[in-house]
Amino acid sequence: MEDSQVLFMRGIKKAFPGVQALDGVDFEVRSGEVMALVGENGAGKSTLIKILSGAYHADEGEIFIKGQQVKIVDPKHSRDLGVSVIYQELNLAEQVSVAENIFAGREVVNRFGLIDYKALYKNAQQWLDMLHISNVNPRDEIRQLGIARKQMVEIAKALSLESSIIVMDEPTSSLPTVTTNPNDVNEVDVLLTMIGQLREHGKAVVYISHRMDEVFRISDRITIMRDGKLVGVRKTSETTPKEIISMMVGRNLEDMYGRAGERKIGKTMLEVRGLNQGKRLKDISFSVRSGEILGVAGLVGAGRTEMAKAIFGADPRDSGDILIDGKPVNVRAPLDAIQAGLGYLPEDRKLQGLFLKMAISTNVSAANLSRISQRGLVQEKWEKDLAQTYVKQLNIRTPSIDQFARNLSGGNQQKVVIAKWLAVQPKVLIVDEPTRGVDVGAKIEIYNLLRSMANLGVAVVMISSELPEILGMSDRIVVIREGHFAGVVDRVDATEEKIMSMATGIATEVMK
Amino acid sequence: MSDQKTTSPEPGQEKSQNSGMSNSVIGFFKWLFRARETGIAVVVIVMITFLSLATDTFFTPGNLAVVARQISLSAIIAMGMTLVILMGGIDLSVGAVVSISSVMIGLTMVRAAMPIWLSILIGLLMGVAIGMINGTLIVRTKVPPFIITLGMLGLARGAALVITKGSSISGFPTAYLPIGQGFVFKLIPIPVIIAIVLAVIVHFILSRTTFGRRIYLIGSNEDAARLSGINVNRMKIAVFTICSFLASVEAVIETSRMSTGQPASGQGYELTAIGSVIIGGASMLGGEGTILGTMLGAILLGLITNGLILLGISAYWQQVFSGTIIILAVALDTWRRQQK
Repeated sequence: MEDSQVLFMRGIKKAFPGVQALDGVDFEVRSGEVMALVGENGAGKSTLIKILSGAYHADEGEIFIKGQQVKIVDPKHSRDLGVSVIYQELNLAEQVSVAENIFAGREVVNRFGLIDYKALYKNAQQWLDMLHISNVNPRDEIRQLGIARKQMVEIAKALSLESSIIVMDEPTSSLPTVTTNPNDVNEVDVLLTMIGQLREHGKAVVYISHRMDEVFRISDRITIMRDGKLVGVRKTSETTPKEIISMMVGRNLEDMYGRAGERKIGKTMLEVRGLNQGKRLKDISFSVRSGEILGVAGLVGAGRTEMAKAIFGADPRDSGDILIDGKPVNVRAPLDAIQAGLGYLPEDRKLQGLFLKMAISTNVSAANLSRISQRGLVQEKWEKDLAQTYVKQLNIRTPSIDQFARNLSGGNQQKVVIAKWLAVQPKVLIVDEPTRGVDVGAKIEIYNLLRSMANLGVAVVMISSELPEILGMSDRIVVIREGHFAGVVDRVDATEEKIMSMATGIATEVMK
Repeated sequence: MSDQKTTSPEPGQEKSQNSGMSNSVIGFFKWLFRARETGIAVVVIVMITFLSLATDTFFTPGNLAVVARQISLSAIIAMGMTLVILMGGIDLSVGAVVSISSVMIGLTMVRAAMPIWLSILIGLLMGVAIGMINGTLIVRTKVPPFIITLGMLGLARGAALVITKGSSISGFPTAYLPIGQGFVFKLIPIPVIIAIVLAVIVHFILSRTTFGRRIYLIGSNEDAARLSGINVNRMKIAVFTICSFLASVEAVIETSRMSTGQPASGQGYELTAIGSVIIGGASMLGGEGTILGTMLGAILLGLITNGLILLGISAYWQQVFSGTIIILAVALDTWRRQQK
């Protein structure tokens, strides 16, 4: 057993001012195995990987690669030692071909010192073939590829570098879970198959992910971290997602989604009638009532986000009436919607929700400038009070409200964006993928928050690609398919199969 | 992975510039120590000390008035540029606005013998109009500001040359001249007073008003700003208009100071303005920067120009020095940020 050990990190410690990011962590991976590395945001997974990749230096501890003790100097050194790290933000040159990316810095040259493209493409093809990647052409430009295929290129590159340790940092976080066109292959499946192949090639694979189902599908063992410490290592075949999650958060989770509670469903707060937008949205009508959580399910690309943005006035609509609290509202821009009592939490918090270079207080007040100002002057005290209130209410973990948003963890960042919308005191809140890319602990907090908002009488519309979340949270579920309204299901009648069949349009007769 | 960002090396260090200024004395010194303006302020002080010691001519009332007036003029344009850059844009047409405004003032005041106030108003309206056109084109066509204002640069300067056939206009009434040439208490040049008043106003707008706040928000994340209910298009038109207006204010003063309206005026002003903003610590990506920083940047560039003349170094070297300073300042600032 010991001789198959490719990587052994022992007693790794790393401190940043004010934080002990890693506190004596041991980590071990063998050849031909997939080791999942899990933990909440802030548990220290990234720091550990960055020490392995040479981006950081450990304060204490030893690293052994194939039994040899090594001192990793910098990223290049790490790569020379056979470590390939594939980050969430891929490191590929967008406007250059697949082959040139695979061999970046190691181009095949002819006797004139010019790149020998023929050999380059041929070599690249060989590596792609080895992984049975058929839908990527070495001549393709990277920017033409989707995220999953870009990741395949990264994997082929890692293979061509003859790396013995391949680390994948949340490779599927930007891929849809339930996913895509029914005729299409599921990209997550393809990626997981590929990781299986890496295992067969005898590579040691470290797989970092928040998605329990994938961790259990692909890994041989699971290393669990919490607060910079190693909690334990489990054989995947001998544990359950429930055990892993409770090890990650350090407590037992009775019910992630909480209980429905005594909610009073009141009058209709938002009504959408005959919403049309080009070819993307066709005649969508639905309503949601005070105190209700309406789930919006559908495949990625079905038009759910487009629908939300059209209702919110962020995108133009061709026709359709929007009634908020019984009154028709002419929504032409987000400001109209906000003033009428609508809030919209966008799906991509970094691109559309946060002001990363701004303080938490500035973020919270961004949609509330009229509330914190008098005759056009920002009242600093009001602004601070507002931020203080919501930081407390939402349990946003930060040393101060002056902290920049970019310094917060994913979960806390999401809470800042939610705070911005709570501060608007909306009658209707549309949340688009509210828990994407946040850890389990923050997820539960966000669920509780949405519930308590509904309890206070807010009508919540929750768009999500995670079916368990939709099923666990919603009172009713609207399904959107290819820009059409495909149906509505009550919570009591809802099952994953039923919603999927509505979302894909397959076997609808079974449903009815 | 985002968990590293949670435990960012120095959690307390990055504070927003809006709330960085605390009321307490200790808070003030902490701010002073951290603020990016402090670095450049030190350079300015060193420079003044050096020039005072190295030359007999620098620290004289006459020279100081000349330097201050020159700096005031470039600072007025740089203020507008600060707003545009804070919002994530750029305005290359400010120099051309100076040229066409200057020409319009000359034509109306000298050739058409209009009242002084009316001429000045026309000159200022010229700036407002060009700014509104810039802003509207940027918003409607979605072509980047760099391209639109580059086009406007050629267009406005070309128009100034066409209507004057390339000649300059002189013979202004004496009542117009104090704006650029006069002194308050026989000591402080009037342009300096104008620049200080404008700087205080723009600083106040940026740091205290919702209008200023929106500029920072748009520069920080335009999409998020739009989704937060900010009318981004209207803000862009407003900011480009203000920037262009300030350039025409400069034209009113400069035309008076030179007592000439000339199509060749304002040459290269956009670069000095952008340089001042960048030296002042603003990010070209928007969302970061202050008027105080820009003012210090303008002062530094002005001192270099004046210092070289006093030290008897050829005027041709000015641009070499200014360029070097810009690269050094930005490189230093980038390096400092990476250290965090």
